[in-house]
Amino acid sequence: MTDRRRINGPSGGTRPPVFASSIKSTTTATERPQRQRQPNELRKIFLKTGLIPSASGSSYLEFEHSASLSAARALPKSLIPPSSSLKLACTVHGPKPLPRSATFSPNLVLTTHVKYAPFAARKRKGHIRDASERDLGVHLETALRGVIVAERWPKSGLDITITILEAEDDRWWGDAPDSHDAAWGMMNVLAGCITAASAAIADARIDCLDLVAGGVAAVVVDESVDGGEPSTPRLMLDTDPAEHRSLLSACVVAYMPARDEITELWLKGDNSKASVGTDDKSLSYETLIDGAVDAARGAHSVLAEAVRESAERLAGLETGYST
Amino acid sequence: MPLDTSTTYPLTKLRLDGRRWNELRLIQAQISTNPASSGSSYLAMGNTTILCSVHGPAEGRRGDATGGAAGSSGAVVEVDVNIAGFAGVDRKRRAGGSDRQSGRVASTLRSAFQSHLHTYLYPHSTISIHVSILSADGSLLAAAVNACTLALVDAGVPMPGLLCGCTAAMSGSASTPMDPLNDFLDPLLDVSLPEEQELPFLTVATTTSVPGRTDEDEDDKKVAMLTMDSKVHYTYIETMLAVGVDGCKQIREILDGVIKGSSQR
Amino acid sequence: MTAQRQASSASQIPHLSPAELSYLYTSLSLPGTPIRPDGRSPTQFRPLSAETDILPGTNGSARVGFADGTQAIVGVKAEVERTVLGVQALSQAEQQEYAEGNEGADGGAGAKQGSTSGQGSWVQMCIEIPGFRDDDALPVFLSEMMREPLVESVSGGEKDGDGDEGGMVGGLKGRLVINRRWHWRLYIDVLLLSQPLSYPLPLLSLTTHLALLATKLPKLKSKGEEDPFFDDDWNAAEYLYPRVRTTRASIPGSIHKVRPPVTLLVISVAENIVFDPSREEIAVADTVLAISITYDTGSNCLKLLSIRTVDPPSRLTQPSVPNSENVATLGSTAAAEASAIINPSTGEEEVSGVWRPRRGGVKRATIARMVKMVLEKGGVGEEVLDGLEGVEVG
Repeated sequence: MTDRRRINGPSGGTRPPVFASSIKSTTTATERPQRQRQPNELRKIFLKTGLIPSASGSSYLEFEHSASLSAARALPKSLIPPSSSLKLACTVHGPKPLPRSATFSPNLVLTTHVKYAPFAARKRKGHIRDASERDLGVHLETALRGVIVAERWPKSGLDITITILEAEDDRWWGDAPDSHDAAWGMMNVLAGCITAASAAIADARIDCLDLVAGGVAAVVVDESVDGGEPSTPRLMLDTDPAEHRSLLSACVVAYMPARDEITELWLKGDNSKASVGTDDKSLSYETLIDGAVDAARGAHSVLAEAVRESAERLAGLETGYST
Repeated sequence: MPLDTSTTYPLTKLRLDGRRWNELRLIQAQISTNPASSGSSYLAMGNTTILCSVHGPAEGRRGDATGGAAGSSGAVVEVDVNIAGFAGVDRKRRAGGSDRQSGRVASTLRSAFQSHLHTYLYPHSTISIHVSILSADGSLLAAAVNACTLALVDAGVPMPGLLCGCTAAMSGSASTPMDPLNDFLDPLLDVSLPEEQELPFLTVATTTSVPGRTDEDEDDKKVAMLTMDSKVHYTYIETMLAVGVDGCKQIREILDGVIKGSSQR
Repeated sequence: MTAQRQASSASQIPHLSPAELSYLYTSLSLPGTPIRPDGRSPTQFRPLSAETDILPGTNGSARVGFADGTQAIVGVKAEVERTVLGVQALSQAEQQEYAEGNEGADGGAGAKQGSTSGQGSWVQMCIEIPGFRDDDALPVFLSEMMREPLVESVSGGEKDGDGDEGGMVGGLKGRLVINRRWHWRLYIDVLLLSQPLSYPLPLLSLTTHLALLATKLPKLKSKGEEDPFFDDDWNAAEYLYPRVRTTRASIPGSIHKVRPPVTLLVISVAENIVFDPSREEIAVADTVLAISITYDTGSNCLKLLSIRTVDPPSRLTQPSVPNSENVATLGSTAAAEASAIINPSTGEEEVSGVWRPRRGGVKRATIARMVKMVLEKGGVGEEVLDGLEGVEVG
């Protein structure tokens, strides 16, 4: 749907003139960021609850900058940052009574709303939610509905709104758009959304079965250091799509560690090539899911700490009132 | 040479698709195509292909604005028209679910069938008609009327007679008064999409008040719907209308055959 | 209103009483042999009728009708569009030309390299379901779910099968490339003709599969980097998914070397796994998975393209009240109350015959079993694809 109420920029984006003489000097300066972490090492997560006082629960989540980005910040070679890191804010409103016109529901009615800020990605997002944002909303809803003990709030609604301030890249900006154009960044965004929403729901003191955390794992193919032959596919946790030449397949889970259960699974990509290339089935979908679960376990430790802080804050507030 | 009716027709007396002025396109129809609905039909007039399904008469949705007051005396007819993205020559980009053309067809159909059906037999209920246009090649409204009629017959909704629609055009712009002595313009029956875009045309739907007397009693024929939104000199209206009404009669016989044929099976 | 729409995103919640839900769940969770309401075996699909090439105005079309009366029509239309190159790709090309200009040598092969793979955004899918706006959650989720495996199914082993008849370099995306400056844009319009009686995913996926198999593109007459120019003769048109005339197709008994993916809906109820669930069966499912598969051209076995969980509507159902807690019957039947048992799949304490809305997620072992049943040799996936092969196309 087109947005008729605002003056929008050109849909395809514009292109600054590039002069041939200037190309040679710049191409050497821009290199694909390299992953500095171990394959099973996650980026550091910053998660804080209760930042938005008007909401009944809220959280803010941020991923650590990749090493190349912090290097580029310190010593800029180009105006274009080499990668981006996820930043998002989540608010929870409710439980609140359903509107009068709504039909009876014996359970808590969950509404999820995921929106990219217009400046969140490299390509500007419109003010109206597009298909990928709605898609993310449905994924998040599926992940959270399995966790919330919904029958404790009949006839009530719970609105979860996530604003993504900075999104993950789908690919390195220097790659041609056709190199691997699947929306891999969306999967990292979803994992962040799940973790942040879980913290915000706990902050709003909604009863849950467990703290659900999101995790991403992917099978990647990197070019080797000298840029020649691509290496064998490897499983990596918490991949930043900008750091890899191509992702064969990726998987997001929403995982509850206490019950060892998955409420949401989104796996995509063709990983037959990976298993054919290495001649073992060690990179099958099961390994991928297990990897994503491991990543979710890592996020869960951060989540538990954030929720503990939130509980302490509330306890402090209550004692403050009583004295 | 531009290939349009107003230049080629006077020379050949044949239309672009090879028909003469008073010929209908091939009509194929079938009823009870969709077992999930109360009544359904498939109708193809030339390359215009329409699927129609009827749900009801059923209890209207609660909380609906029309369900309460308006439906108390008789059934409410709801029409939903959906023109598929692949219906036209070029794939159409749809803005926000429905466009103007489908909205117009829907409201015309609604008012035509609301007054045509014996709605007083079903108070507090809704008859909902869903029309899917799979392929659009002119005479959309007329074909939709015919498809709806078949589906409503299949659903067993009582009506006084078959409501049949047809289009008629003039083989030229017809902006000057008709000259009775030297008239070179012919009326054209059942227009296709290129003709519809070029020529003035009208859509007419007629019905008979008593079923089964289509042939003998000309006095019972009623015009139930008449729309025209192109410019034509008023002297031509009578000719176009006469041709259109005659086309409706031909279509009624075809639809009658479809209904009788399917009931024998 | 939007809240209500989104709440029903997974599927409409059927109006079944807790007692009915409990009965369904119990019969479907019988160990080993689930009893389905319509008497099918766990892997059996509902009967369906299918036809292709029903609309002459489209590049390819198909209609599939289930026996319960739900029908879907898919029309595929292709349009030629100018390829918009990204900033970097363009500058790379320019750079290349610049370098070539300096050297004075021709490097056509190098320039061709960058454009052989297409873009996923060239395939657009639009699903229309009566009663839903096309930007509601259900149609958007369904179309993303079906588009994703479609644009991703880059067939394996294209390196060696480059000149091979019936191969498809770079999958569907690669097939849409005409030359460096032009490409096909594919519009897949899915029309559900009536309100969905069950979750419409299998129906829509099968119909889309057939429509894509029947899709033809006009034969290209221009060569290389010229503006594209096509043969007027529709009989000379080529299939989007090329066919192999000889019998040496890699898939036995198939005329296609590469075929579009299909998405299957699989549910688990307690320890049982059930395929092609009806509306009532979905209502009591513990887990609902949508699994997309296709044939791998290299190894002639099935490969997995995507898995998505679908929100099971059983989470939204009304719970029933056990007799021990029921005020009306308090005391009178307390002794007759069955003792609580532990549900092996959910690990929760349950009283038999008392419906509880499902909570929690799915164990990894269950997912693995579901995927294995789809993928294994002679499994359900092969059965479905072979069945679709039987449909006369074109």
